[in-house]
Amino acid sequence: MVVPLISIILLAPLAAFTLFAVLGLAKRNFPRQDYLSTFAMLVALGCSLLLIQEVTSDPTPLTVEWLSLGSVNFSMGFYLDSVTVIMLIVVTLVSSLVHIFSIGYMHGDPRYPRFFAFLSLFSFSMLFLVVSDNLLGIYIGWELVGLCSYLLIGFWFEKDTAANACKKAFLTTRVGDVGMFIGMMMLFAKFGTLSLHDGTESGIFTLVEGLSGTGDMVWLSVAGILIFCGAVGKSAQVPLHTWLPDAMEGPTPVSALIHAATMVAAGVYLVARMFPILTPTSSLVIAYVGGITALVAATIAIVRFDIKRVLAYSTISQLGYMMLAIGAGSYVAGLFHLTTHAFFKALLFLGSGSVIHAFHAMHAHHDDAEHPEDTAHEHDDNSLVHEHGAEIPPDQDMRNMGGLRHKMPLTFITMLIATLSISGVPFVFSGFWSKDKILGGVLGRAMEWSSVHHYILFGMALLAAGITAFYMFRLIFMTFFGEPRNQEMHDMAHESPWVMVVPLIVLAALSFPVVNTIWFNKDNFKPPKQPHIHAPQHAYVSPDSKIGDANFGFSLFGVSTAQAAEEDAGPDTAHADDAHHIHHLAHNIAMVLSICVAGLGILLSWLFYHRRRFSAEGVATTFRPVYNLFWNKYYFDEFYDGVLVALTVWKSRLFAKFDLSFIDGIVNGVGKVTRDVLSAFIGFFDNRVVDGFVNRVAEVTWAAGGRIRKIQTGAIQTYLFVVLGGIVLIILIFRLF
Amino acid sequence: MSLQHYLVISSILFSLGIFAVLTRKNAISILMGIELILNSCNLNFVAFSRFVTPAETIVGSEVFRFDGQIIAIFGIVLAAAEAAVFLAIILAIYREFGSIRPDEVDTLKG
Repeated sequence: MVVPLISIILLAPLAAFTLFAVLGLAKRNFPRQDYLSTFAMLVALGCSLLLIQEVTSDPTPLTVEWLSLGSVNFSMGFYLDSVTVIMLIVVTLVSSLVHIFSIGYMHGDPRYPRFFAFLSLFSFSMLFLVVSDNLLGIYIGWELVGLCSYLLIGFWFEKDTAANACKKAFLTTRVGDVGMFIGMMMLFAKFGTLSLHDGTESGIFTLVEGLSGTGDMVWLSVAGILIFCGAVGKSAQVPLHTWLPDAMEGPTPVSALIHAATMVAAGVYLVARMFPILTPTSSLVIAYVGGITALVAATIAIVRFDIKRVLAYSTISQLGYMMLAIGAGSYVAGLFHLTTHAFFKALLFLGSGSVIHAFHAMHAHHDDAEHPEDTAHEHDDNSLVHEHGAEIPPDQDMRNMGGLRHKMPLTFITMLIATLSISGVPFVFSGFWSKDKILGGVLGRAMEWSSVHHYILFGMALLAAGITAFYMFRLIFMTFFGEPRNQEMHDMAHESPWVMVVPLIVLAALSFPVVNTIWFNKDNFKPPKQPHIHAPQHAYVSPDSKIGDANFGFSLFGVSTAQAAEEDAGPDTAHADDAHHIHHLAHNIAMVLSICVAGLGILLSWLFYHRRRFSAEGVATTFRPVYNLFWNKYYFDEFYDGVLVALTVWKSRLFAKFDLSFIDGIVNGVGKVTRDVLSAFIGFFDNRVVDGFVNRVAEVTWAAGGRIRKIQTGAIQTYLFVVLGGIVLIILIFRLF
Repeated sequence: MSLQHYLVISSILFSLGIFAVLTRKNAISILMGIELILNSCNLNFVAFSRFVTPAETIVGSEVFRFDGQIIAIFGIVLAAAEAAVFLAIILAIYREFGSIRPDEVDTLKG
């Protein structure tokens, strides 16, 4: 039952895309590509939901030999565990909703069918990545995801900004992919296989477990960090995060898909999937990169005015959170946050798409008078890749918004729910639980190990949580509250059509914790065990977060996961009990602290942007250098432009100069030598020696002929005389001899 | 008279003919030299036939053979034909060059 289900999940979106591609060869379109793709996604979603019941069976239901090179075999197959199922559901669910939303949002676009075909391919790539049981398959899916993001970010490729943004996304992620590939090759060189786990116990996970306590693990740390590099690119971690805000050039549903379900989730999924091979060192690196990303992106988001860019930096920040969680060993917390984040971030993006759509319709009205034909696809034409102040497109500029809650009540309510969720408003919203789980997990780790690193990481996470609450409510206040700042635009705004609002409502419903809880229920969620090598000096039984699970008792079925975790703790129960108590305490502290910072963030945001008790501009003026730093996004783009790009250009110029002067010099020199010396010599030889010889021969022949022809006197008697002489001679000779 | 006498006469005739052919400045004279050479040959044939060829005995009686004499008659006929052709050529040459001196007819001179 498992294999057919997974096959359907993969083949349905692939078939939708293939139909488009095949018909495309005949320059035809399937009349309802949108319905077809959406239907395919819904089928995949249904199959994914059915798969929940199958998790307990064999994790690798299908493995086939794919490629055999000499003695090396590469296999392809499915890997099915709790993580896979959760990812499948998240991807198919968000993708389905994005499909439905796009039917409304992309309506009238000249390349409407193509958009849905690409969405299908995108979903297929991600699903392929998720179910692969080996690193090669993951890598194939990984690159396909990169390709699709390239195609979709550059969907409106008429705009230079979009064309540049898709190239930037592709190339930036490529940097990380190189690292990932090297990491894969290191594992392959060491283990001779790329399978994660297979029936014959020769998968990477099993082999890593076998390494337990065998000395030097440096290479494994390096391999882990290199594989994480791939995730740094795909999941937009510092310092490769710059492509993600620029990716806002794509249509908004694509942003939702990229940010929630496919592209960036791939990185987190990869790190989570490769969790068993992470050593303490690589884990710490991952956690720090995640923590720094969370803080950097959050502070940048504070000062953005483009509604989509706020959300983009918010995504980066939240991804940093997930990485931090996984790096700190709170593996389940990271995945849990990925899930909850997928829903509320998709909701936020689709909501912002709804807002933009509302404003855009106004644009369309204006444009209709002048250019009736080219309105529909120019949603946000005039935004630039590097957002600098005045270059924000007016329909995305939050300074033009305000008071929209009366105009677009459904969009407002659903986005408010998502914002409450991402800000970590307690108890009712899923974001609170996942974030709290991360904070608790990190603090628990810190207390258990008395690790300064983890205390620092906890501080970073807490700070980022507060900032997140602040800037998200800033977005809400600026967009939906207050007085309309641009009356003209406000008057034209309207609620979006139902096909766009329904996905918002579904996603809003998913932002409440009960739904997520079903999946993270102890019965359903069985994370892989992490080998003991990960904590050489700390007997650290449960990095697979049985304990991390402990505080997460919000089960719909009333099964206390904490209890289940305790029962499952195995032979190390005594120690696990200690750790459990520490983690319990940590979670309580973390929960209180996270509620405090979230409340503080919201309060400050309210004071700044709603009550206008403080002036944001005043603060910005007071802390001008800091503000500039945030406003210029820590100068990452400038750094890349000024250093990497400039260095590359300089290097290219140098090479060009080298080519021009040195290589061309050699070529020209050789040419010159050939022409002036060698050719001259050979020419001389030909002219003088060969021609001379020929001429001499001719002259000699000529001269000899001139002499010899005198013999031919023409006088017949001379001839006769010679004949006679000859005869006499012959007779004499015959007589004599 | 013995064979030697004939041969001496023949040699003198031949030498005179050669001399005439090589030295005469008139084509007619050269022709005459050639005739002398031919006739010296005829004389040789006849002389050798008379003195050298043994007689055959046919039906009990000795009979002389006349092979040389017959060849000499062929030679005379040949000489007559040759003289006719030669004279025709001389006429043609004269028409072409206005002269029958061989040293003046040297168009093939190298």
